[in-house]
Amino acid sequence: MIPRQQLLLDLKPEQPPTLDNFVAGSNAELVARLRNLTGPASFEAITLWGAQGCGKSHLLAAVAAAADSRRPVLFLRGEEVVDLTPPTSCLLIIDDVEGLAPEAQIALFRCFNAARFLGLAMLIASSAPPLRLDLREDLRTRIGQTLIYEVQALTDEEKGAALQRHAIARGMLMDAGVVQYLLRHGRRDLPSLMAMLDGLDRVSLEQKRSPTLPLLKELMQTNLDLDPL
Amino acid sequence: MSEFWSVCLNRFEQELPAQQFNTWIKGLRLEDSEDGGFRLIAPNRFVMQWVRERYLSQIETLGREFFSRPVSISLGVSGNNAELPPPAATTTADELSANSAEPVAAVVAQVRSGDPAYEKTRLNAEFTFDTLVTGRANDLARAAAQQVAMNPGVSYNPLFVYGGVGLGKTHLIHAIGNAIYAANPAMEVRYVHAEDYFSDVVRAFQQNSRDAFKRYYRSLDLLLIDDIQFFNRKDRTQEEFFYAFNALIEAKKQIIITSDTYPKDIQGLEDRLVSRFDCGLTVAIEPPELEMRIAILKKKAEAERIDISDEVAFLIAKNLRSNVRELEGALNRVVAYARFHGRDINLDVAREALRDIIGATNRQISLELVQKTVSDFYKIKVTDMYSQKRTRAIARPRQVAMWLSRELTSHSLPEIGEAFGGRDHTTVMHACRTVGDLRSKDSRLNNDLHVLVQTIKG
Repeated sequence: MIPRQQLLLDLKPEQPPTLDNFVAGSNAELVARLRNLTGPASFEAITLWGAQGCGKSHLLAAVAAAADSRRPVLFLRGEEVVDLTPPTSCLLIIDDVEGLAPEAQIALFRCFNAARFLGLAMLIASSAPPLRLDLREDLRTRIGQTLIYEVQALTDEEKGAALQRHAIARGMLMDAGVVQYLLRHGRRDLPSLMAMLDGLDRVSLEQKRSPTLPLLKELMQTNLDLDPL
Repeated sequence: MSEFWSVCLNRFEQELPAQQFNTWIKGLRLEDSEDGGFRLIAPNRFVMQWVRERYLSQIETLGREFFSRPVSISLGVSGNNAELPPPAATTTADELSANSAEPVAAVVAQVRSGDPAYEKTRLNAEFTFDTLVTGRANDLARAAAQQVAMNPGVSYNPLFVYGGVGLGKTHLIHAIGNAIYAANPAMEVRYVHAEDYFSDVVRAFQQNSRDAFKRYYRSLDLLLIDDIQFFNRKDRTQEEFFYAFNALIEAKKQIIITSDTYPKDIQGLEDRLVSRFDCGLTVAIEPPELEMRIAILKKKAEAERIDISDEVAFLIAKNLRSNVRELEGALNRVVAYARFHGRDINLDVAREALRDIIGATNRQISLELVQKTVSDFYKIKVTDMYSQKRTRAIARPRQVAMWLSRELTSHSLPEIGEAFGGRDHTTVMHACRTVGDLRSKDSRLNNDLHVLVQTIKG
């Protein structure tokens, strides 16, 4: 361990998720449609699904933030839902819809039925396509009737670009080899990659060393010891 | 011949209750048929079937008596349903002014539609008989619905429509409501989902407004109540509904009910309600067969002025089998995709868009799955994947498996190397580069990769 460690004032720049800082890759159509959803005159219902780490949470948070000043927004994770009484022209966002308890499923079912009357827009996220969701059939088919998008994971090249952008936004002056090394040696889903990059930034500040390849290797070695990923 | 038919009509008019006579017999037409017998023309298939089951033998007996010889009587459906008599208008001035007490729920919510008819009836104007595609799966239900729309309160009361989820029950009953309301906008028509009815009951009790609640529901000329299975074990709601039901039926006001199953099978429903639901007419809606699903897609596309080819409709209909709702969702998705990319709706576009709905890529793909699939494909042992052998017949499939692991999973290259017999990550990189280069030159390998990707993704 390094004997003298700089204590950090946790002042890393806030990077709230937005639709603009989402690396769209092949999700351009989805992002355009989501942008449209934030306006008060949209009454669309959209479902997006994809494996963990593909960017669903980023997108939902970005839409919620963008819509916030323009229309009422109700943003819940499936498991948090008890009852749902969205106000008129609300944008209802449900993450992890498969986590809905039986009663909550009926609550969402009623929202679908009342959507036209209340002028609701809906955004739903799940890990599987609606055809394979284990929910009440009357609710499942209503979700299946929305516009369904699979969030496509980025290619390695796109992930590299995303990491570069993330580093620049954090003000990291990083060796070019770092991104390549991460893509070759780390888990290659974007949240894991971003977390590694953040970790590198933190260690580099604490130890007053540049975020170089040797430092990254050291970090990954320590991580390996602590947390066998 | 016309003399014979008037004899029949007279006889039935005497023997049958007026309601049944009007519904079943009055609309029939007798024609000479080519074989020297007669042909009875019914306004629709449903009436035809009903007449065949219940009245045909009696008509044949009457024929034998009238002509003193056996006569053959066949049944047919009139080619043009437009000739049916216009719907009966039954509302009186008294009923108009009877009551305007809104149900409690309606007062709470603000409305965005700005459509007074919608606000009053909660009927979706798009759900009409015209937009309802008919096929074997729903033609009896549709015919019954049309009868009810023509003679609300007199033909079948209640009309009970049941069927699986997303098959068009709601569309059908909205169509009845819209037809009745269009024929007579003075009618008090109201569509309510069983869950919303339940909320109304709860609120009426909480706010001590049970009288207004009762008055409202009893003032209706047509009550459409959807998904009655939601009354499961809601005793107070069932009790309120029981009284409203009796009052409406007694006043010859039409009630239409839907459920996901037939009355006796509904969970947690009082027997007295079950037996009342059973005393009208119960009709089923079945899942649509392929041809009907295609017809539904074409009709929907036509309504939205979109051109879709038979192949595209076929592709969508083949992939979404169980219900109409998801079928329509899939069409919307295909159209959205084509619009965004500025392309015509063709098979490629449809395939591309459907991928999001069907989710071929969703199976959780493990390194073991990749190794197993590749070994099976090249007919080598799975253990060869992590053995030290380097003969071409084994090394190439191993490289292919490494390439697939990199493409289809998020595992790190060292993890992949580890899974292939503790190899270094640079070996994995080398394999990926080799396969990547080869596939552009070797079309057979390229095809193998394509097949393997499909197999692994499931």
